Amino acid sequence: MKTINSEHHLDLTKEDEKVYSTLNLGPTHPATHGIFQNVLTMNGETIVSAEQTIGYIHRAFEKIAERRPYYQITTLTDRLNYCSSPLNNIGWHLAVEKLLGVETNKRIDYMRIIVMELARISDHLICNSVIGVDSGALTGFVYLFEEREKIYEIYEELCGARLTTNLGVVGGFDRDFSPIAIQKIRDLMNGLPKVLHEFENLLMRNRIFMDRTINVGAISADRALNYGFTGPCLRAAGVDYDVRVQEPYSSYNDFDFIVPIGQNGDTYDRFCVRQTELWESIKLVTNALDNLPEGKFNTEVPAFFMPPKEDVYSKMEPLISHFKMVMGEIDVPTKEIYKAVEGANGELGFYVVADGGRAPYRLHFRRPGFIYYQAFPEMITGASLSDAILTMSSMNVIAGELDA
Amino acid sequence: MEYSILLQELKNKFENSILSVDETADIFTITIASEAVKEMITFLKEQQNFIFLTDLCGIHYPDQEKELGVIYHLHNLVANKRIRLKTFVSKENPQIVSIVSVFSGANWMERETFDFYGIDFVGHPNLIRILNVEYMDYFPMRKEYPLEDATRSDKDDRFFGR
Repeated sequence: MKTINSEHHLDLTKEDEKVYSTLNLGPTHPATHGIFQNVLTMNGETIVSAEQTIGYIHRAFEKIAERRPYYQITTLTDRLNYCSSPLNNIGWHLAVEKLLGVETNKRIDYMRIIVMELARISDHLICNSVIGVDSGALTGFVYLFEEREKIYEIYEELCGARLTTNLGVVGGFDRDFSPIAIQKIRDLMNGLPKVLHEFENLLMRNRIFMDRTINVGAISADRALNYGFTGPCLRAAGVDYDVRVQEPYSSYNDFDFIVPIGQNGDTYDRFCVRQTELWESIKLVTNALDNLPEGKFNTEVPAFFMPPKEDVYSKMEPLISHFKMVMGEIDVPTKEIYKAVEGANGELGFYVVADGGRAPYRLHFRRPGFIYYQAFPEMITGASLSDAILTMSSMNVIAGELDA
Repeated sequence: MEYSILLQELKNKFENSILSVDETADIFTITIASEAVKEMITFLKEQQNFIFLTDLCGIHYPDQEKELGVIYHLHNLVANKRIRLKTFVSKENPQIVSIVSVFSGANWMERETFDFYGIDFVGHPNLIRILNVEYMDYFPMRKEYPLEDATRSDKDDRFFGR
């Protein structure tokens, strides 16, 4: 039996007066992978509450968009979720096409699917390998970065840029896929399965990784829906909502793919959902490339189609339309639309209110990361600090998208 | 689920709050009185399966009598139907009842709308600025704050290294 010195007697009734410590996680902390601040109230190792501060890289995109011609807003969307910029670019183009009532041909649709799924692959590769890093396995991250590099080389081949791609134009693409680009996509699709298998061997059934991620940062389907979760985070909780299936755009309904769902909504499920989506994306890219129809790569929407340079230099009409397009002096219908695409981390929506002028009257980005990141305190309350780090990286919150 | 049936049910319940209906828009749009926002969203969520709040944002029309607007996008995931609700308030009394107790996800969306348009969401647990600095004393997305004219000529280029 323990004898207790009366002087140092532990008075259990004084539990309430316990002093919690405050821990500043961020704004610039290497484990947060971006500029977010979380002021954590800690009871020893356990998180009692968290207070989030965001907005450190707010760039007023919605305000800037109210002055910019439609085609110049593409560069703003690059900087939302910068891990998968082409997805945002094409989402914006689809939104403007919906506003204008433009229908694209199958070739453009399939080309877009290839680019969007490549972007999804690169985004998921980063997110899942970073989950590995935060649980102590750096190897997978370094290994997968080589594959992401190959995807960036494909972007480079398609549009000349790597990170902020500004890929495509309203109405399709500004150039066709070059044979080199197609070869690079084929090479990647041949090589990626082997790498993914190795990566999965490293983590998927790894006892340490499973112990670190199962039941960590879990959220129920009910709460996830209430918080407006979308994308892999929602699907991990067991809700099979995917915009590609629910409201098919860009001919996604031509393809057969699985929407994976999880059960517990925890970090491990989010990891597995993304991993399965990677396989589905590989299938989609391969299928789209194999069945790429013949046709034009641009719909030549009058207000957005850049005429060929030789015509601009030699003919009057192309010169005029080139000038008008570049200056943004074009006519758009007066209406409002909402267009959503399945971004790499959720439903990326564009709410456009057009008044017929050169720039949108109002443009609102529905940024999935901004909406679901607010559930973070609820998800980590009662967890330890290292679990909070893992939860955050598995949510795939991208600072650029969060702060707009 | 048909919109006409939904509209009829809404009319039965909120006769005086429905100001206008736009069936031609890409998403079925209803403009409602600002007092009815919370009851109607609660009704849509609990009775009509609109269990998902897709988006909430503000808008400013300086020429209207009620200048400031809030736009809600709700999604019925079961029937895959979307609905857009609009409501307008005056600049002097920009009060709208918060829907955080209905949708937890509305928390930051309302804070963002407050931050940029100054709409006062009554009953919000923590209505403070979210993306802008705390000491900002205006609401930057309102139309009376235009962006700088790109063609202005009163700048001295020497100060900008040009």
